[in-house]
Amino acid sequence: MKIYACTEGRSGQVDAVSLEMIAAARSLARDGDDVIAFFAGSAAADAAGKFGTADRLVAAIAPEADIVVAGTYARQLCDVIAAEGAGIVVVPYSANGLDVASSVAARLDWPLVSYVEKIARDGQSLSVVAQLYGGKVLADCSVPLPAVLMVNPGAFAEATATPLSPERIDTIDIAELVAASRVRPISIDLPDFSDVDLKAAERIVCVGRGIGDEASIDLARDLAALLGAEIAGSRPVVDNGWLPKLRQVGKSGQKVKPKLYMALGVSGAPEHLEGMGQSDMIIAVNTDPKAPIFNVAHYGATCDLFELMSSLSERLQPSDT
Amino acid sequence: MNILVILRMVPDAAGELLLTGDGLGIDREWLDFQLNDFDDHALEDAILLKEATGAKVTVIAIGEGTNRILQMAAARGADEVIALPCEEDELLSSRDLAATVVDLARARSADLVVCGVQSSEDLFGQLAPYVGAMLDWPHISGTNRIEASGGGLHVTQERGAGVSVTYEVVLPAVLGVQTATKAPRYVSGSKLREASKTPIGRGERQASSFTLSASIEGLRIPEETGSAQQLGDDAETVAERIVAILESNGIGRR
Repeated sequence: MKIYACTEGRSGQVDAVSLEMIAAARSLARDGDDVIAFFAGSAAADAAGKFGTADRLVAAIAPEADIVVAGTYARQLCDVIAAEGAGIVVVPYSANGLDVASSVAARLDWPLVSYVEKIARDGQSLSVVAQLYGGKVLADCSVPLPAVLMVNPGAFAEATATPLSPERIDTIDIAELVAASRVRPISIDLPDFSDVDLKAAERIVCVGRGIGDEASIDLARDLAALLGAEIAGSRPVVDNGWLPKLRQVGKSGQKVKPKLYMALGVSGAPEHLEGMGQSDMIIAVNTDPKAPIFNVAHYGATCDLFELMSSLSERLQPSDT
Repeated sequence: MNILVILRMVPDAAGELLLTGDGLGIDREWLDFQLNDFDDHALEDAILLKEATGAKVTVIAIGEGTNRILQMAAARGADEVIALPCEEDELLSSRDLAATVVDLARARSADLVVCGVQSSEDLFGQLAPYVGAMLDWPHISGTNRIEASGGGLHVTQERGAGVSVTYEVVLPAVLGVQTATKAPRYVSGSKLREASKTPIGRGERQASSFTLSASIEGLRIPEETGSAQQLGDDAETVAERIVAILESNGIGRR
């Protein structure tokens, strides 16, 4: 059986989650199975240098394509599968993966399970554990093969990055397919970390939806200043325009690992935990004792957020003496 | 431009979720249902496009409490609102819903379908890419900016780590919205009262066009790992303890 690991990247570079997908595919392979890494982009050198734990690399290359759009990626992958066959396709839960997974499942009329945390192969089907309701519920699913799985980042440890020998690489020219797409990238905005770089911050105070309103962020900002910490926010706070995008922690923001991460009114959706779960010390304050943030926090409190911020700021004020 | 917006009512997962006796579903009897947050943003983008281009916006909604939400959509500027039936206790699978959306997109000659990038019940895949693939239209998930440009759109997608990519998109297309171009607008009580007279159309569901995705063998609430050492529920005590913890770890005040 052929097991495809969907890998990602841009400007010829591959993203780290690619190695997690190869590890997921490898964990399902049995004797005689092939783990095939699929990559689409402008050049395959980085993929070839890292995907050595796969049996093969299928690289769909368009030299001018800094980013291959998901529709083109999915279409090409389906063509490869139609020609070679496949039993399982693993796709990362990412911006690109969200489009690729359902598109491939629709085009092939294969089963798909999203937000997968664990996979076990069981004869001609898979036993899969997946998240529902933002991780508040886990679903044990039986998935007939062939199937597509969209796998959560962090569910599998990265495969070792080793080079793949050239004879195990197939290159497909997709320049025409890219040119025919009705979606064309026209600009890429890269973050400017000169003002704030959360990844470099040793201390972060992060506010979540529980902060309530924009005015309350000032209290958190004062507290952050007293702690020498950067202020950050979860997605709802940034979506409301209360903090700039560069200060967002989580899947669509920054992945951080500070010495201190103080989460105020953050519930801890899986997408947020993905961005901060590895912090050295996590102190979480949330009035909901069942909030998932407490599962990764080292210290937790369920007291009133505003009373706490005031009291803490008072205690942290530099003394005059 | 004809825009079709899909709104899904989902259980409010901020509260406690309990499972049904057979362990195959969540107990919905006492649950609050709310509009899927991403769908709210999708509606806002549709209304912004209407204001910019004069597009016609048709909104379809499904789930518990759709009438209220459709009135809100009308108050925000939707031209036509349609409720879809749903089973009591139904997990709103985007995979199953896709056939209905495709049918409506064709029937209404839609040029653009917008919905939220995800919902909390899309275990078997996401709506925008399913609909896009079935119609063979371009689809982009995770958008945070949509603007009309010429006869098409300029669409910005978040790619994570602060990177965003802007695309030129030829219509027709399907977009999975993460964040609206502007935060969803506030609707005044008087506008809501006025909109409460808007007739709500009734749509029909189509059977899923796909084979069964997977069977749910059982649901469970993840075990609380309880890793957090609890500092209590009294703000003063908690503050005192936090200061002590910070100081003992060499990360006290600056």
